[in-house]
Amino acid sequence: MSPIVTDVLVIGGGLAGQRAAIGARRRGLDVTVLSLVPAKRSHSAAAQGGMQASLGNCLGGAGDNEDLHFADTVRGSDWGADQDVVRMFAHMAPKAIRELAAWGVPWSRVQKGEHQITEDGQKKTIREADAAHGLITSRNFGGTAKWRACYVSDGTGHAMLYTMSNQAIAAGIPVHERMEAIALIHDGERCCGAVARNLMTGELQTYLARATCVASGGFGRIYRVSTNAVINEGLGAALALETGLARLGNMEAVQFHPTGIFPSGILVTEGCRGDGGLLLDGSGHRFMPDYEPEKRELASRDVVSRRMEEHIAAGHGASSRFGEHLWLDIRLLGRDHINSKLREVSEICHYFLGIDPAEELIPVRPAQHYSMGGIRTDRTGQCPSLSGLFAVGEAACWDMHGFNRLGGNSVAETVVAGMIVGETIADYCESDQGELTLSTALAADFQAREAARLRSIATNPGAEKAVELTRQMQQIMTDKVGIFRSAERLEEAVAGLLALQSRASRIGLSSARKGPNPELVAAYRLPRMLKLALCVACGALQRTESRGAHYRADYPQRNDQQWLQRTLTSWPEQDQEQPTIDYEPLDIMSMELPPGWRGYGARDFIAHPDSEARQAQIDALLAQAGPLDARQRQALLMPFEHFLPGIYRGRNQRLGDTDG
Amino acid sequence: MGAAALEPKPMRQKINRWPARLDVAQSLSGLLLVLFIWGHMFFESSILLGKDAMLWVTRMFEGAHLLGRPYPVLVSVAAALVLALVALHALLALRKFPANYRQYHRLNRHVSAMRHLDTTAWYIQVITGFALFFLASAHLLVVLLQPENIGPYASSDRVWSGRFWLLYGPLLLIVHLHAGIGIYRLCLKWGPFPAQRLGLWRGRIKLAAYCIVAFYLCLGTASLVTYMRIGAQHAPYAGERYAPEAVE
Amino acid sequence: MDNIPVRQHRTLTINILRHNPADGDSQPRLQAFEVDETDAMTLFIALNVIREEQDPTLTFDFVCRAGICGSCGMIINGRPGLACRTLTRDLPDEFTLLPLPGFELIADLSVNTGKWMRGMAERLETWVHASDLAGVDLDQMEQPMDPHLAEQIYELERCIECGCCIAACGTAQMRDDFVGAVGLNQVTRFRLDPRDQRDDSDFYQLVGDDSGVFGCMTLLGCEDMCPKDLPLATQIAFLRRRMVAV
Ligand SMILES: Cc1cc2nc3c(=O)[nH]c(=O)nc-3n(C[C@H](O)[C@H](O)[C@H](O)COP(=O)(O)OP(=O)(O)OC[C@H]3O[C@@H](n4cnc5c(N)ncnc54)[C@H](O)[C@@H]3O)c2cc1C
Ligand code: HEM
Ligand code: SF4
Ligand code: SF4
Ligand code: FES
Repeated sequence: MSPIVTDVLVIGGGLAGQRAAIGARRRGLDVTVLSLVPAKRSHSAAAQGGMQASLGNCLGGAGDNEDLHFADTVRGSDWGADQDVVRMFAHMAPKAIRELAAWGVPWSRVQKGEHQITEDGQKKTIREADAAHGLITSRNFGGTAKWRACYVSDGTGHAMLYTMSNQAIAAGIPVHERMEAIALIHDGERCCGAVARNLMTGELQTYLARATCVASGGFGRIYRVSTNAVINEGLGAALALETGLARLGNMEAVQFHPTGIFPSGILVTEGCRGDGGLLLDGSGHRFMPDYEPEKRELASRDVVSRRMEEHIAAGHGASSRFGEHLWLDIRLLGRDHINSKLREVSEICHYFLGIDPAEELIPVRPAQHYSMGGIRTDRTGQCPSLSGLFAVGEAACWDMHGFNRLGGNSVAETVVAGMIVGETIADYCESDQGELTLSTALAADFQAREAARLRSIATNPGAEKAVELTRQMQQIMTDKVGIFRSAERLEEAVAGLLALQSRASRIGLSSARKGPNPELVAAYRLPRMLKLALCVACGALQRTESRGAHYRADYPQRNDQQWLQRTLTSWPEQDQEQPTIDYEPLDIMSMELPPGWRGYGARDFIAHPDSEARQAQIDALLAQAGPLDARQRQALLMPFEHFLPGIYRGRNQRLGDTDG
Repeated sequence: MGAAALEPKPMRQKINRWPARLDVAQSLSGLLLVLFIWGHMFFESSILLGKDAMLWVTRMFEGAHLLGRPYPVLVSVAAALVLALVALHALLALRKFPANYRQYHRLNRHVSAMRHLDTTAWYIQVITGFALFFLASAHLLVVLLQPENIGPYASSDRVWSGRFWLLYGPLLLIVHLHAGIGIYRLCLKWGPFPAQRLGLWRGRIKLAAYCIVAFYLCLGTASLVTYMRIGAQHAPYAGERYAPEAVE
Repeated sequence: MDNIPVRQHRTLTINILRHNPADGDSQPRLQAFEVDETDAMTLFIALNVIREEQDPTLTFDFVCRAGICGSCGMIINGRPGLACRTLTRDLPDEFTLLPLPGFELIADLSVNTGKWMRGMAERLETWVHASDLAGVDLDQMEQPMDPHLAEQIYELERCIECGCCIAACGTAQMRDDFVGAVGLNQVTRFRLDPRDQRDDSDFYQLVGDDSGVFGCMTLLGCEDMCPKDLPLATQIAFLRRRMVAV
């Protein structure tokens, strides 16, 4: 089939991909979006709880600002994040939410007057100000100083994705549904499109583009127990890896969400705890305050998940025929609250557990939830080692999450990064670099190569079954590369994955039928997923410290001295068995917030000498400068605004701003 | 296109209001017919109160109480009006019939697979509507053409000796099924029920429709049986008119 | 644990429609599969078990497997529903699965709802129409909105475009151009939204005929089968009254 030529090819129709697409389209470029499924079914739709943005409209959010959002995010990341990026993000989040508000998202709003809330197990009455009435409200989420998670009941992601998709339709952006990108086309320096496979017909289609943007979401499905959709197989990241040029950042940083329904792993939102829900153990005891007196149920996810597993390991779990678990109690919120603000939760409990959460406890246990790692990009979303390739959203490691993402920061990232990357892409296409230089012969080569590969898979006489190997990979990851990691288990994991990798070359198919062929799909995806799994396992094995979601039982301390580094994983040679791992140091001396204690979780860590030096430097700078307002202070310590596209540099207005 | 497409395009073409009007006309004609048939049932069943009562009602329709003497042609006019209404309603409803075999086939499959009461009810309405087209028209034509042949004996003779019970029996069942379902659907089609209450109201209206249909079926059957009984007794004298027993 | 009721394990017989239109020789047929029921088994689990253990070519669509994304609508024993959140314990020993009618068949249980929904969205222009969307001042505070109104809009926005209402609708089954409850509901959603500057005569242009609101015959299959319990009957009646009043 002849290639489709477009200015911008976006691989992924979730929030991130579509926002980037709209941005580029507005700048007059031709954009084509590919998606495994209809865009509105992308996994962004599953986000229930909220989107972080420091609007500070409601009482619990009053006084919130970019500085607090920045600090919470950096602490949440366990100092693994790129602080410039976190600043850009915190600055953009209110704009993103306001844009979506104008585009049609029905954000829940502040209702003036008295309300009953549940906090720390107690009922309290609060009073919302008249001036805030009708502005976007927010709820409490883990690891944040303020109520910052803006929400739409508990269908936040759904409402955002529908609005985004509808705006993309309005902008006339074609979405080629059920089109799976299976290879990025490049000549060793420049990426210029992708080969895609039509999942309905099995035909290959080449796309040639000036800019290619991967927005393919996370890779949760390399784990067995995951909150992720079944399409979250990390395919985009794997394609980038297979170029041998792009590198994946922090792949070992995998987040586990405390409240996956047991045993299916379906998520119930953090909003349950944010709104006052409690975690109970097998004997009905509320155990989180014992471990985390400061933030209790609302410490960051890595900490809560770990504490839960710890508590289960200590023999306090509730047991069922599926194994051990704990309880989530939202009964105290009352039926009205549950049926309005936590409606999806109530539906999920009803349909999947057959229980009424207003009366009964919900069985939960941590489940894989989010991939902090992904295609490493620079601050503008561009891949530093392959021109013309961009990445955005969960598929990217833009690196605002470091080693642990805060709840609600992800959908916020997708939109914010989409806004920025859309502009970057447009700038790139307008520049000289952005000219499409590629010969169609190269594209034909890539297509021929992929066709041959698929043919060889389809005709392989081997006796292995893809689904069986996939299941084994998922089991290994959940058992051995989960919340508690150790050298021993990780070595077993790597060995197990390598064994699967060699077995994967002997996968045989039962039929080579035309049209949709799920068996073939599983067979060609598995080797890619195994590569990602190896990146995670090898990265985890090498990182001999505990940071954020990456916890090594044999190295329980965070070690800034040795490990304040970003992991960069690549696969330069096709026939390599294991990934190549490099590290990129994070420079403390340019940080606005030098490493310290997070305010929850373990207190002891191995400090880097620079942390103290940088703190002293900051103190000196501030003393020298005399009285400054927050903005000036920030600009003095770590200027970032120049990284932002010009249109997004304005200052965010807030309720009660004195200087209008 | 881009930015332009994000803006609404001007949409001030001329509106075609006919679909709205036809929809209202369909419902309104249906409503009027239902009201008519429900009223009609009471008049018709006056026979249950005795021959005199029925004669009184007949005379009333012929304008005797107002105009001093009966003008059967008035009944013809009324029948013509109803027939026109039926024709209008049928014509409008025809638009909703399966238009070809493919549609009919799909509908059939759909109705039997879904086992969904309201869908089945609609299907019944289509079928009864189709039957009514013939049965109701036949009845109305008779009334239209022979307005003077209405009365305790005349009607009974027609029912029994003229074998019209073969028409009226099915017509009774069909028209009330159709009317009952129709009124239920009318309520839900237009009724301003708030979402939280819809289920409640729907249940109530359904129950009411059941009751009303049952009531009219009983009433109608009783009347029909009465006409048949009178007709059977009067069969030897078929054709004779009824003379009121109590002479004024 | 007592909240997932234990039950005698059964062997389920699942009759599934098999057809691959891409293969010229393929004829639609029902194929029976036997599956051992497990605790809390959903159709998502059952179908995957069949695919993994009995027939790797069996084609179906799941994405979120949590009743959120709307991918897995199918006809479950005659009625449309979301397969991922249907527990087998609520079904008899033998039951039948068919693809949603009214949509293009991809293969077996997989249908192209995405294409249909995109067509519907383009036709009904289901997005906020405002003159200055590209030029919103993002630094400014957002426009206030009545909290209750925001909730009402969300109520209508909960539609997941699963297509169950189309499969459940006699009208949609007969007329290919009928926008269905999903389309009509979305129109009411934007009509309610103060950010959308369209008025009733604009909406009339979109749904004021027999492929729109006047085509609906109030069969209420949609209302009864919508997995998200959207207030479809109320909304359609409301839209009908408004459109007649234009
Ligand atoms: C259950 C759940 C709840 C969550 N709740 C929250 C929350 O409350 N707040 C929050 O901030 N975050 C939440 N998250 C995280 C957040 O939803 C995701 O991280 C975010 O939506 C990812 O968006 P995305 O656009 O990057 O990717 P996705 O929305 O996952 O989209 C990926 C897209 O890529 C396409 N794609 C993938 N591979 C290919 C390929 N090879 N070819 C073509 N297309 C491809 C897919 O079809 C899809 O369209 C939650 C996540 C889960 C799992
Ligand atoms: C010639 C005979 C008739 C035919 C062919 C006919 C046909 C139909 C059909 C097919 C419908 C369904 C239309 C739709 O769903 O939109 C319908 C609706 C209806 N009919 Fe009839 N009908 C006839 C006579 C009657 C009579 C005699 C009555 C009164 C008793 C009646 C009352 C109704 C009502 C109230 C409705 C609902 C209207 C609506 O849905 O808008 N009909 N008819
Ligand atoms: S209205 Fe209901 S049934 Fe129809 S598509 Fe939306 S969610 Fe599905
Ligand atoms: S009420 Fe009936 S005809 Fe109207 S959309 Fe719903 S199912 Fe279809
Ligand atoms: S798979 Fe998403 S709704 Fe069933």
